[in-house]
Amino acid sequence: MRRLLALLCVGCCLCAGFFFSLRASADDVAGRAKKLHFSSIVLDTHDDTTQRFFSKDFDIGKRNPDGHVDIPRMREGGMNAIFFSIWIDGRIMGPPAVQKALDQIDAVHENVRKYSKDLVFCRTAEEVRRAHAQGKIAALIGVEGGHMIGNDIRVLRTFGDLGARYMTLSHFYNDEWADSSTDKPVHNGLTDFGKDIVREMNRQGIMVDISHVSDKTFYDALEVSKAPLIASHSSCRAICNHPRDMSDDMIKALAAKGGVIQINYEKSFLDQAYKDASEKLSGGVVAMFDLLKKTCGDDQECYGRKMAEQEKQATAEGKLPHVSWERIVDHIDHVVKLAGADHVGLGSDFDGASMPEGMEDCSKLPKITEALMRKGYSDDDIRKILGGNVLRVMEQTEKVSRELQAQ
Amino acid sequence: MRVEMLRTFLTAGLCVSAGAFLAAAVTTDDISARAKKLHFSSIVVDTHDDTTQRFLDGNFDIGARSTTGSIDVPRMREGNLGAIFFSIWIPSKITGPEAVHRALVQMDAVRGQVRKHPNDLVLATTAAEIRVARKQGKIAALMGVEGGHMINSDLDVLRKFASLGVRYMTLTHSGNDEWADSSTDKVVHNGLSDFGKEVVREMNRLGVMVDISHVSDKTFYDVLELSKAPLIASHSSCRAICDAPRNMTDQMMKDLAAKGGVIQINYHVGFLSQEFRDAEKAHPEINKAIGDEVTKRCGDNEACQLIEGDRITREYVAQGKLPRIDWTKIIEHIDHAVKVAGADHVGLGSDFDGANMPYGMEDSTKLPQITEALLRKGYSEGDVKKILGENTLRVMAEVKRVSRELNSLPRK
Repeated sequence: MRRLLALLCVGCCLCAGFFFSLRASADDVAGRAKKLHFSSIVLDTHDDTTQRFFSKDFDIGKRNPDGHVDIPRMREGGMNAIFFSIWIDGRIMGPPAVQKALDQIDAVHENVRKYSKDLVFCRTAEEVRRAHAQGKIAALIGVEGGHMIGNDIRVLRTFGDLGARYMTLSHFYNDEWADSSTDKPVHNGLTDFGKDIVREMNRQGIMVDISHVSDKTFYDALEVSKAPLIASHSSCRAICNHPRDMSDDMIKALAAKGGVIQINYEKSFLDQAYKDASEKLSGGVVAMFDLLKKTCGDDQECYGRKMAEQEKQATAEGKLPHVSWERIVDHIDHVVKLAGADHVGLGSDFDGASMPEGMEDCSKLPKITEALMRKGYSDDDIRKILGGNVLRVMEQTEKVSRELQAQ
Repeated sequence: MRVEMLRTFLTAGLCVSAGAFLAAAVTTDDISARAKKLHFSSIVVDTHDDTTQRFLDGNFDIGARSTTGSIDVPRMREGNLGAIFFSIWIPSKITGPEAVHRALVQMDAVRGQVRKHPNDLVLATTAAEIRVARKQGKIAALMGVEGGHMINSDLDVLRKFASLGVRYMTLTHSGNDEWADSSTDKVVHNGLSDFGKEVVREMNRLGVMVDISHVSDKTFYDVLELSKAPLIASHSSCRAICDAPRNMTDQMMKDLAAKGGVIQINYHVGFLSQEFRDAEKAHPEINKAIGDEVTKRCGDNEACQLIEGDRITREYVAQGKLPRIDWTKIIEHIDHAVKVAGADHVGLGSDFDGANMPYGMEDSTKLPQITEALLRKGYSEGDVKKILGENTLRVMAEVKRVSRELNSLPRK
């Protein structure tokens, strides 16, 4: 009797195993991808959510019907490290820019304080890893545009003291010491003072971000910097020929010095057909910003909202082509083929750009992991792309800073 | 017993040899061994020094002994000044984002000097950190913002100043700001405006001490009623001795003390001495001449203005055109405040590098004289220690406790 029972049991188990393996063969990748994704540090280096903190309608602790980032959706998408972008329009300069930047830094700090069960403010790769181990979301700060230091290296240091861990050397417009990729060159790249800024960033352990800057500025920064660079939110020019994206040569040069390009999900940077149509329609992203400035004035939060509205309407009217989220994977794959899996990561531009279909918000991020796995990427490479590469650059930047300060 | 005696002897020996270097420059009363021992074993806290202005001029290095001004590391060590509040200050007339920017620059300058001299200075933000610094043989560097105009009516900015290490803010400087009346300006807000009250509440929550030096009497009382933490007057003296609006009346001192606060005596001769003040009033042409000469020598350089102002004033004293005020006036003010408010409520807020120092208190090396004088007056060693720094440390600890309490309350 007991034998019979045992046999039956084994039989049942075999049967169950058979059914299970049938299902597994179809969904094995999905399951593995999910497991990999939710055990990884997923670090996004560029999110414009900061501007939303100034809107009464936005609460990062709750699920919001609009926008791309909040705590519930970060949890759902496994996004556990985020650089909140400090950004004001590049035409605001001098002391007013400094004060507005402080206001935004404070908004990040205050939201971290408000949601201290979920968020923890981080300055180093080690702190990000610790946050992950504690099940918290690491909140970091990047300053998007050198215009916010008011042409004053001492303000840069102060931003560093307050926790800023990268600074994009320019935004859409040239600042006092660096040319932008979307403005007329006036400095021939970086001025001497701009080079001093890069050196001081190295000393302070602030990553040098070359998204937005002109090609010449990029090469100048690459030459001057003692630490690897990041492009916090840029994509590949070989796929979509936009000045905001990086050429293959630039990507190779960035990688050769240990840097990372963090792929931007903005449709005009991902997809050539979309970029062409968008330029025909509104003159491109900078012209659109000019228009938005007229509509929104000094309300920085309004920019993202208005942009999304206009874009949604134009797409519905068939004036803009549909772009799939898979384009993001194409860009990642392009960089990996060109420069290797150590030099690419994620810089969504959530809450500051038009997202492709299927990447409506950060809850969709696990799709990227699954897509890469289906392409045959190793688990290790995927982890690097999700966040490991940026953490490596952060560590390297910290090391260079320690060395320079010891001198 | 022997060990104790030996230690005393050694300490005295060290001080004597340090004193020998000084002898040429300083003619002080003999400081007794007891006073030396007490002074050099105490944490001496000075809550107001304008040395920050000097940092902005790239040539000044706090690590080296300077022949001008009152403060540098060697002279702080010599006078055992153990904790110093570097004042972040720009004139009241500079407002708006420009004021915010310039305040940040000064904070960077303080932090820069600390970074430059890691063996001598350490940035501190709490009483506990000051005690740790002391144990490590370092001087604690702290920051106080002298004038609410520097936040440009923006609580976000106030919070960032606190993040950068600021531990007190004087609600106004010589002019009113957007939300508080100054003691040396016309009444506009009838004390503290509603926004000013928000500022004080946020300072309580942040653990930033509320400094009522410079503010009008009405502002003081508004703040006293509102603040959940004790207040400080970071650099004010007694109006009963010298009738300047910048000083505190006996009643104000009593009320400040009743809520646990401290008045930190300012050494500026114009606040210490009625005689000096009267002479200034009687001869406005002298003040004007000093002002003109300062402008001629310094232009817009504020550090230069502060240092030269003191120097030129002394030239007038030397010529007999202004009275010569002795450092012992400081003791009179301390003693008066102790009699009125008690020994738990008085401390030191020199205004070094920002005011006209009395004779015999030219710089921080002279601080042991205060200890000696108080002992000679019969003060207990415990009371002297309190006045030298423990009272301020107590307020800091209390302000921190209130901050923790307020932060633990549910958010609105």
